[in-house]
Amino acid sequence: MTHIGKNTKSTIVSKGISAGHGQNSYRGLVKVLKNASNARNYSQCDSLLLGDKCGAHTFPYLEVDNSTAIVEHEATTSKIGEDQIFYCNQRGISTEDAIGLIVNGYAREVINKLPMEFAVEAQKLLQISLEGSVG
Amino acid sequence: MLIIKNLKASIEGKSILKGISLEVKPGEIHAIMGPNGSGKSTLAAVLAGREFVEVTEGTITYSGKNLLEMAAEDRAKEGIFLGFQYPIEIPGVSMVNFMKTAVNEHRKHKGLEPLSASDFLKMMRDKKELVEIDSKLANRSVNEGFSGGEKKKNEIFQMAMLEPKLAILDETDSGLDIDALRIVANGVNKLKRPDNSFIIITHYQRLLDYIVPDVVHVLYDGRIVKTAGKELALELEEKGYDWIKKEVENNVIA
Repeated sequence: MTHIGKNTKSTIVSKGISAGHGQNSYRGLVKVLKNASNARNYSQCDSLLLGDKCGAHTFPYLEVDNSTAIVEHEATTSKIGEDQIFYCNQRGISTEDAIGLIVNGYAREVINKLPMEFAVEAQKLLQISLEGSVG
Repeated sequence: MLIIKNLKASIEGKSILKGISLEVKPGEIHAIMGPNGSGKSTLAAVLAGREFVEVTEGTITYSGKNLLEMAAEDRAKEGIFLGFQYPIEIPGVSMVNFMKTAVNEHRKHKGLEPLSASDFLKMMRDKKELVEIDSKLANRSVNEGFSGGEKKKNEIFQMAMLEPKLAILDETDSGLDIDALRIVANGVNKLKRPDNSFIIITHYQRLLDYIVPDVVHVLYDGRIVKTAGKELALELEEKGYDWIKKEVENNVIA
């Protein structure tokens, strides 16, 4: 994300999902150029770990050349709780479907911004990618 | 409906249920009372199929089937519902989505077609009215940001949506004020039918003023030490659990 003009605002939302033995990395650059006064950026980098053999790493790069800039970065890491899965099981939802629901809920913020047809494909792809990869 | 014979169960090697036998017939409401640590929630967990509880002895027959061989989600689809003591939050998953998935899984199990979106929303509206749940609840994520009372009401709402044959309510009355208690009790009373049953787990007599049980059992130290009619709950309220503990100690009851 590069801020060039004056009074610019930006938001970055990254939702990473790791499963199996996967290692996920977020590497983001927020650049505020010299003349970009009053720039504002908020970056949110979330990781969801499925199972205990995977990992996630965050490498935020902030290159700020204007002292009036306000740049924020937040990172969260979460797992799907066993209690959450059991709650779904007790309502008749299989573990695999429960994980699908929860992962979709997690990624919703990003998927909602995609054009409809692509969003539907993305959701289906997510479901297929996760099939059988759950611990 | 449900026959439990000599059920023994442990958690991490520690014996919690020490030989429970219980029979619930269709149309009956059973109350299970007992002091903290007596094993009430463990019993609920075993019935629902929680894996961290190890059943070491005994049998559980549900509608003629061996319950202990069924996975949790299959027990649910066969009509068992657990109203959790501490309902968990599932951020990002809306109540609508969650319930639609659950309801359609139940329907699939019965060989029915899934409900269309409009039929489903109509069903949600009807059930919300039935249990007096706030309309805004449906748009929120499952239990996220709900107060304790709202979580408990949400359990009753889900029970109304899934129409179970055997509903186990684990301390559904804890943390509720009088109005919420009344709403929860009304919900249960409206869902009562001659072909379904309820097991109400509670510490206090209070809820049983509104949901009148057919049988009251007292669970103490992993065993059912007393079984009687609804007057037993009143007696407990008066004399406290110490009375039971003394009777057990004096071997008046086994």
